[in-house]
Parts: sequence; C-alpha cells; structure tokens
Amino acid sequence: MSGLGVDRPIKRRAGSAVGGLPVADSRPVLAGDAVLGSRCTACRYPSAQRELPWCPVCYAPAAEERFAVTGAVWSSTVVEIPVGTRKPPFGLAYVDLDDGPRVLVHLAEPAVLGPGARLRITGTDDGDLVAAMEVRA
Amino acid sequence: MTEPMLWGVGTSAYGRFPDRRVEALAWEAVAEAVRDAGVSPGEIDAIVVGSVFGPPGVATRVQRGLGIPGVPMWTVENACASGTSAYHEAAEAVRLGRFGCVLVLGVEQMSTLFSGAIVPEATDPEGASSLPLPGLYALQAQRYVAEFGVTPEQLAAVAVKNKRNGLDNPRAQLRSAAPTVAEVLASRMIARPLTFLQCCPTSDGAGAAIVGGDRGNRRDLRIEASAMVSGALWDHRSADVWGFASVARAAEAAFAQAGRTPAEIDLLEVHDAFTIGEIITLEAVGIAPRGEGADLAPSGHTARDGAQPVNPSGGLLSRGHPLGATGMAQLAEIAWQLRGEAGSRQVARRRVGLVETMGGGAAGMDGNACVVTILAPQT
Repeated sequence: MSGLGVDRPIKRRAGSAVGGLPVADSRPVLAGDAVLGSRCTACRYPSAQRELPWCPVCYAPAAEERFAVTGAVWSSTVVEIPVGTRKPPFGLAYVDLDDGPRVLVHLAEPAVLGPGARLRITGTDDGDLVAAMEVRA
Repeated sequence: MTEPMLWGVGTSAYGRFPDRRVEALAWEAVAEAVRDAGVSPGEIDAIVVGSVFGPPGVATRVQRGLGIPGVPMWTVENACASGTSAYHEAAEAVRLGRFGCVLVLGVEQMSTLFSGAIVPEATDPEGASSLPLPGLYALQAQRYVAEFGVTPEQLAAVAVKNKRNGLDNPRAQLRSAAPTVAEVLASRMIARPLTFLQCCPTSDGAGAAIVGGDRGNRRDLRIEASAMVSGALWDHRSADVWGFASVARAAEAAFAQAGRTPAEIDLLEVHDAFTIGEIITLEAVGIAPRGEGADLAPSGHTARDGAQPVNPSGGLLSRGHPLGATGMAQLAEIAWQLRGEAGSRQVARRRVGLVETMGGGAAGMDGNACVVTILAPQT
C-alpha cells in the first residue's frame, strides 16, 4: 500500500486499490473463451473498447464481439518497480489477438518475449488479462 | 494574417519544491518573461495556461498576483504537451489577429501529488492494468531492440549526452556528475531495457513566454511554424511504435508551414522523457531515417558541438519533467540559444531551432497531443 490518500484527500482518481474511490473498469473483459469488445458492422474494425458511439474508423454502427484469446506479441517488457499494488517483477505485453484488437496483458511468467511470440490468455488477475505462452497440440 | 513573434521567455528553477506555492513558481517564470520581453503587464491582452494537475483554477490564482484583470484566459490540458499547446494557441491567436500580446504559462507541481509507488490513471484501461509510463516507453524500446537491433549502449548514450549537457544548466533538477554509459546501464532497472538513469524525474516548475506580433524589435524571434495535433488510433494496424505517428504528423505540418526541411534545423529541444523517446522522436521529426535514430547520440551528431545539437539544456533527463511546464522550458532554451544568450550551453550554429513536445498515455491512441514549433532570429 502506498502512502496515497493517507492523512489527506487526493485529487487524482487512483482507484480503490490504492486508497482512492472506485472507478468504472475500462479494461478488456474475459468471458470464458473470448475477450469481449466491439466490431464494426461495416468495415469489421475490431476494438477492445465497449460502448462505442460508432466505429472510430468508418462511423458505421459497432456491435458487441467476442474475440479469440490467442494472438501474437507486438512488444513486451518486464517492470521492475512497484506500480500501485503490483509488486515487481511483472511482465506486460501488447498482444494482437487473432482477428482482433491489440490488448495489454500481464504475463504469467515475467519475461521479455520477442515480437510474434504466440500467447494465450488463460485468465485474469485482479481484473487484468493474464497470458501465457501458447502450447499447440 | 500577422506573423507571430516570441517576445520573451522566463522560467523558474526545476526540482522538488513541495514547500513552494504553485503560484510562486508561476510568478517567478512570468516575471522573467515580462522583463525579457520588455513589456508592462498592462499590455497583455490574453493569458493561456497549460497545466495537467492544476489545481483547478490555477490560472486565476496566478492571475491574482499579476494585475491583468478581465482579459480572456483559458487553461489547456494536453498531458506533457500542455505548455506548448497553450503556446500554440497563443501563436495562432496572434497570427489570426485576435490578440496583440499574449502571456503563455506552463506550470506543474508534482512533488505534492505522488508518494510511494506511482499510480497510473485508474480510468484508463492500461493505467488500470498497472502500466506505468516507463513501461509504455519500455514497450517501444523492446520493439526497437527486436526490429532494428537497438543496443543498451545506444540507449544509454542519450542519457550520457543529456546529463552532461545538464551540468551547464543552473536551473536543471539533476546536476550531479555526468554518468558513463556503463553507469547508466548499471543503474537500477525500471522497466526492461530502461534503467533509472534513462528516466526523467518528476518535477515542480514553471515556464512562461510573451507572444505578440512584429513590433520592430530585432531581438524578437520569428515563429516560423507552430503545429499541434491530437492523437489518432494506435492499434493492431500500426506498424510504428506508440507515439511515432503523432510526432510525425506534427513535424510534417510544421515543416510545411515553415517551408523548411529537417536538414535545415540547427538545434532541437525534444521530448526525452526516456532515452528511447529521443531516438524515436528524432526519426519521426526526420533527423534520421526510421530505424536509424539510435546512432545519433553515439556518433556525436546530436552532441552540443555536433551537426544538429539535441537537448543542449540537458533535456527532461536533466531538467526534470514538470508536465505542463516542460514545453515552455524547451521553448525558453531554444529562445536563449537562438539569441546567443545560452552561456556555457551555447551551440555554434543558431539560425533555426525546433521544439517538439509530446503528451501521451491514453490507451489505444498514438499520443494525447504533440506540438512542434520552429523559430528563427530575424535576419
């Protein structure tokens, strides 16, 4: 627990995990074997954002979509400092989901993975998507 | 149309000043800018303020001490580009004839905002997932390592150069001995591959400027171009790392407006919040081809005595990064350099200078905003 919010009110939406007030969660949602998001009904643009007013690419209506939980690493890093309630080291990666959007995931095992490495989202941790190396039968 | 001119600049010192009032930091910068411009506060007919964390109403609290009542005034928040976004609005307002003399202020006090571990913005998907700013830049860096073979030594060379430059900046937050490449790489790892000495410190400080039209003063600097762009989608279709495209858009617009090419720029102050940031920015601005920016610091090209000095002030890596004030600090350095008033930091060639400030961090966008401005002394 950081000193945030201790002894004085803060003016930053830090989130309830670190002493602030809770805020609406904007992170991608894992629902069984799919990541929930939106897809354009016209140009098929995929987005991890929900509640979009329209497709941000072509302005056609966007509809809810279920995206694959597998994809390829775009870039990754290992964070070696505490961030909020997260204790180091923890791995983060941008993953381009198969036929889907680019999302940020936590890595089950902290490591720097090269672009193109295959990952599978295996679950969540405190609301964060968690991914591990994809094992193909 | 009126060509806007930069009449004067001023800054506070940069560092951690939790005991100082935000207004006092601002007044220090404003007083210097007003003196530098040789104007009376009563001549100022508009005020534009850039600040991220305010507090709300910070512009009015600063105004309280200035004796400039009733003029149009507004506050701009564009993350790290807040200060130069305010400056851009002032320059455009003068260009369009809306005002004749505008005070621009960038101000931030961060030492009283954060304690302990940094907490990213919880309303942002990536902030909620505990992605810190150094992590965002580390993801850029790892992509460059994989795609272009950027080495740890090339990254560290940026920190060595800028921290060495910062030794000559009496207002910089960090003015200890300049580290070696080995020392930069041996400092604590923050987010692989970025070590502690490759990250700018958070700071308190203010920067101010007076922008107006041509008043026949030879000391005033011509604002040849000022361009501000907001972010665009950064997603699975993006070939470039986060941030690259927004800087490129702003730079392209600024060069078109000035009728200049990157090769004509004598010196630059750019957004080196992290070492990789300077490398990517210089590619996006066009100083180096895509994928070749990492050679600029090790080769000496961007050294203070190099062909195109970058961050002769010491950059954010030395000066610190008071978000809303950073762009104004960059602008002040370029102004002093172009006038030949930069003392021990003075570069040799000073016909045209460029400032680039990029604000970012919102998930899924290639930046919150980016400002590029090109200035030149009158010939």
